[in-house]
Amino acid sequence: MDVFSLEEESGCLMKSSRKKYMTGLMIFSLFLILSISGCWGKREVEDLAPLMGIGFDLGEKPGTYLVTQQYAKTKKGGNSGAETEERTLGAEASSVREAFDIVSKAAYRTPFMGSLKVIVIGEDVAKAGGFNNMLDFAQRFAEFRRSMYLVIARGKAEDVLNLKLRSEQLPALYIRSIIEGGHELSAFPMVRLGHYLTVLGTKSTAPILPVVEAVKDGDRIHYKAEKADEAGEIRIEGAGVLNGDQLVDFLNDEETKGYMWLEDDVFNRLINTVDLKESTVKFSGQVLKSNTRYKVKSDGENIGLNYQVRTSIAIDEVLGLDRQLSGSDWVELVKEAEESFAKVIQQECESAIKKQRELGFDFLGIGRHIEQRNPKYWKSLKERWKQEVSDFPVSFDVKVTVHHTGMSSSSATNSEGEGQD
Amino acid sequence: MERISAHQFTTLGAGVLLGTTFLPVASIVALVGGRDGWMSVLPGFALGIPYSLMILSLMKYYPRRNLLQISEEAFGRWIGKLIGIIYLLCAIYLGGLLLGQVGDIYQTSIMPLTPLWIFFLGGIILVLYLTRSGIEVFARFSEITFPLIVVAILLNVGLSIPRIEQGELLPILGEGLIPIFKGSLKVIPFVMTYMLFLAGVIAYLPTDKKAIGQLKTGAWKIVFWAGILDTLIALIQMLVFGPTETIRLVYGLLALGKMVEVSRTVSGVESLFLGVWFAAAVIKIGSLFFVAIWGLESVFGIKGVKWRHVIAIIFLGIAFKNVRAPSLINEIGLVGEYIIMPFVSLWIPVLWGVMRWKRGAGY
Amino acid sequence: MSSWMKMLKDLTVRPKGERRIRKSPSFSFDEDMNKPISGQTVKEILSKSSDIVFREFNFPGKSRIPCMLVVVDGLVDKNILDQFVLKPLMVDLNHHPDLERVTLANVIDITIQSFLPGIEIKKIVKMEEAVSTILSGDAVIFFGESSEAISIGARGWANRGVNEPIAESIVKGPHEGFTETLRINTSLLRRKIKHPSLRIISLKLGDISNTELVVVYIEKIANKDIVSEVLLRLSKIKMDSVIDVGYIEEMIEDFPYSPFPQIAYTERPDVLAGKLLEGKVGIILDGTPIVLVVPAILMEFLNVNEDYYQRAMTAILSRFVRYVGSFVAVVAPSTYIAVTTFHQEIIPTDLLMSISAGRQGVPFPALLEALTMTIVLEILQEAGLRLPKPIGQTIGIVGALIIGDAAVNAGLVSPLMVIIIGLTAVASYAIPYYDLSLAVRLLRFPLMILAGILGFFGVAVGLYAILIHLLGLRSFGVPYTSPIAPLRVRALLQDTFVRAPWWALKRRPQLIDVQEPRSKGKG
Repeated sequence: MDVFSLEEESGCLMKSSRKKYMTGLMIFSLFLILSISGCWGKREVEDLAPLMGIGFDLGEKPGTYLVTQQYAKTKKGGNSGAETEERTLGAEASSVREAFDIVSKAAYRTPFMGSLKVIVIGEDVAKAGGFNNMLDFAQRFAEFRRSMYLVIARGKAEDVLNLKLRSEQLPALYIRSIIEGGHELSAFPMVRLGHYLTVLGTKSTAPILPVVEAVKDGDRIHYKAEKADEAGEIRIEGAGVLNGDQLVDFLNDEETKGYMWLEDDVFNRLINTVDLKESTVKFSGQVLKSNTRYKVKSDGENIGLNYQVRTSIAIDEVLGLDRQLSGSDWVELVKEAEESFAKVIQQECESAIKKQRELGFDFLGIGRHIEQRNPKYWKSLKERWKQEVSDFPVSFDVKVTVHHTGMSSSSATNSEGEGQD
Repeated sequence: MERISAHQFTTLGAGVLLGTTFLPVASIVALVGGRDGWMSVLPGFALGIPYSLMILSLMKYYPRRNLLQISEEAFGRWIGKLIGIIYLLCAIYLGGLLLGQVGDIYQTSIMPLTPLWIFFLGGIILVLYLTRSGIEVFARFSEITFPLIVVAILLNVGLSIPRIEQGELLPILGEGLIPIFKGSLKVIPFVMTYMLFLAGVIAYLPTDKKAIGQLKTGAWKIVFWAGILDTLIALIQMLVFGPTETIRLVYGLLALGKMVEVSRTVSGVESLFLGVWFAAAVIKIGSLFFVAIWGLESVFGIKGVKWRHVIAIIFLGIAFKNVRAPSLINEIGLVGEYIIMPFVSLWIPVLWGVMRWKRGAGY
Repeated sequence: MSSWMKMLKDLTVRPKGERRIRKSPSFSFDEDMNKPISGQTVKEILSKSSDIVFREFNFPGKSRIPCMLVVVDGLVDKNILDQFVLKPLMVDLNHHPDLERVTLANVIDITIQSFLPGIEIKKIVKMEEAVSTILSGDAVIFFGESSEAISIGARGWANRGVNEPIAESIVKGPHEGFTETLRINTSLLRRKIKHPSLRIISLKLGDISNTELVVVYIEKIANKDIVSEVLLRLSKIKMDSVIDVGYIEEMIEDFPYSPFPQIAYTERPDVLAGKLLEGKVGIILDGTPIVLVVPAILMEFLNVNEDYYQRAMTAILSRFVRYVGSFVAVVAPSTYIAVTTFHQEIIPTDLLMSISAGRQGVPFPALLEALTMTIVLEILQEAGLRLPKPIGQTIGIVGALIIGDAAVNAGLVSPLMVIIIGLTAVASYAIPYYDLSLAVRLLRFPLMILAGILGFFGVAVGLYAILIHLLGLRSFGVPYTSPIAPLRVRALLQDTFVRAPWWALKRRPQLIDVQEPRSKGKG
């Protein structure tokens, strides 16, 4: 039983021939490893071209895609660390690997996929559908990470990636920065590849992707462009609803914001009541936190989904206030503000629902909510869900709490002062 | 005679039972159990407890002997030998396949251009070194690496929490209890593979009364630890990927590792995680290697360094025969489900029953 | 290839109890040594050395026995001999009443009993003993044709005083250290442990050097098996000289082909006392201030005695820093190589870009760069080590700052590599025992090569191989990785990664088996 005891005595029993055998074996294997020290998969870091962004557009030939690859190139920056230069190449091919094959002949470095941050899908590809085939490479090849971001480009993906930004950053990195800073605005969804694939897996929910667009001077943002008629900034606004991997329609800003509320995806947000007609005093503020809960409610025969939105807001601006308010009036005004905010939120939500009903695709994931809360009912509904989406009953319950009104109570006014209370 | 303490038995057993199961487990249970698959891991593992207790109770009456020697006494020489041969073949074949999986995982996930034989060789050298150093060192090895494995898994799970998708776990028990039962059946081969090792390692366990009590607690702890960890893994994958993706991903835990980002300091920990996973693989393959050694010794009465090298070469040969990853994974499943599970699940209760009956009859 | 053979043999070879390194030569006086004692023979054996003094005189009284005092000049205290040996015998004796009884036959007994004051006076009968007594620094008086002689303890040579040891300096705690003189060392130890159970057992080693050596332990605490194993292994040593404990260390350790130290050492009496109280056995050799302590476990090489003198919380922090430091010292360069040449995906993009920028134009691959830098570092360490202190510092500054900076500016080395290598060097200084940090320095190289060929897989294989090697090591029967594996919960919780406060230690932390585990605190 005691085959190879570690006790002192057994050492003496070991035959020297066995020792030599073992030593020889060890030397042989080490020699083998050392002598064939090839360079399997070995890549020095400076020989890599980190891939930052990739864009898909339709190619000229049917069945091909124009794959735009954006690499970062490091300048030898001396002591100041890394500075990046852009190097964007495109190739038409019917598979992504083929596109890399074509581009690699021109680029002298090995493309490194591990750093890919953004996949930009051109509008034409999205509308034509079928880009899941293009994504397969990204989810299969081991170097990619499932945490990269997906966006739809308004126009061509190639154009977005080839923009000369005024900040001199790589468009791909710029898009990533906007998306990662998106929590502060909560105005567009943040979609990673993994999330997209998971949503696809539910079958009932339609995926949704944020939309990126080049912004020219005067397109709601003003800046001094270097060349007239050439965009120098990038913006993410709105979203695109997909049926599987085919773009159905774009959501505008309000509908996207509604989606964010209903998806419980709002972290911080800027919100204002300027467009609200009923009230004369307008407010704007920042959402501190928000929480949306889902209740499946039945009112006798119909079963419907009830959204309960609970939001905390801090008021940053009060507009149209023409007199100084007393303490109790101020309390009333804040309550009024809460109602106004609630109305705005409800309007946004309703516009999203309206869009969903128009399109007939469940991008709000209502089906999943029902499945999660009432699996029995869902089983009966599942087969005809496609038809039900358009008139499934939905209700809202929005409650806003104003936490504070900033550093002052009443605003400064023109009229002769009655003094401070 | 080498000895293993009760604590070493616990970590060694947990290391062997957990072994390499934590990579495929989520996919396996999600395939049959769907959204509730994660709940079927613990019930499946729990089957290990009666089996372990049966083996331990046999050990009490036949100290310092392994289950093969006890079988020879129970069923007679020839049936005993036959059992020994099946035991030996199971261990060698599965061990070789798992060695092949080491190569597959490394090549698929982090080192795509390195030839497979490097991974096979690295794995088998460590296993040989371990077996050469003896079961005591093997026990100490798992004593140190098992906590590392636990920490690595917990870290991987914990760091994946920010990636959890909304409500992927719901509805709970939407399909009733049957998927859970089916899922449990799928994890039983893991438990039975561990029984192969337990059947041999009992020869090194202490048999005084206090120790037996500790060993029994150890047997519970082993199942509990490995079961909880595998449950956690299946759970986090379900939470992050949802059922469709969990089934589809071959090595889901590594995909999770790839999604980890610790602010901007570390992105993707799967290559570090694989280093720890490698220890688990070495424990698992090492345990099967020991099983093969014990099998050879009790069936043919041969032992020694030469035969260890023969086993190693057979392991390598099996690994090289199975370089096609999809069929390799399929094969591992088949061996577990259709050879090891029926064999062990019959052998141990029958042996236990016969020995009880014999003792009762006054032997 | 032969060096590879040696390195690999640690996997296959067991230590042997007995080894003879050199055969002692035979000497012309070997036969004389067995003759009966006589002044004449001693003179023949020793007269060729100029430092031996033969002082001949006649015994007073009527017997007039010719006497000869033999000493080694420089080893004896001449004052003692003048005052308490020669003066009593040659001057004071003339009026002693016993003087008349003296004959050649009883002169020695009477002299010991009546004539000579002093403690260390005894009769010797063997030639060999007489010679070695003289050479050890005692005085011997030969009386005419008598076949016996008297030895007088009069050792008094120039000592290095009890100083603070340079190699083991501490901030808080006693500052005295062992010296080169055995008796001073045992006295230092005795002053720490004033208990009859402290055992000091004498041995002699070395056929030519005749070095004295004592084995110290505390009965009732030290494990009997370990004590007898130590004595057995020491008694089996056959060497012609033992100049430093290093000779003994290699002869008695369990795994001679392991790079890891398996025997602890110290220059501090307080450390030795502490370890003896933990149940260890000390070996003190004459002629060196280094004391060996067995058995040793890995964790001991990472802990220092100052941990016990500091407050428990801060001691835990400094232990933690040391553990992290030693881990970094082993894996930092190999991890860097693996990450930059194989696993770039683990690096966040921004860092990847700056590493890439730093390496632009560096002519070496990362592996070669790291190997070169590590070798340069080793050269700097080796160069600075044996230089006088002021120059040593200059070497450090020149090496680290000027060469490093110039290499980066010239584009030969990437800045990050300099940081990594610097970090490694600093981290390896956090290992308190020099022997262990040498082992770590040695192990870095194979790990770096493995990382350069196989990335993290190679590092994992290397680290696990080292781990298995460590797990298989034993020091005098005690597993080297205890108390982690095999687990000893109490020792792990009280005195491994953390150091429990003294009031919390109800039992002695059992790093090794001891006879009486109960103690009210360790000290």
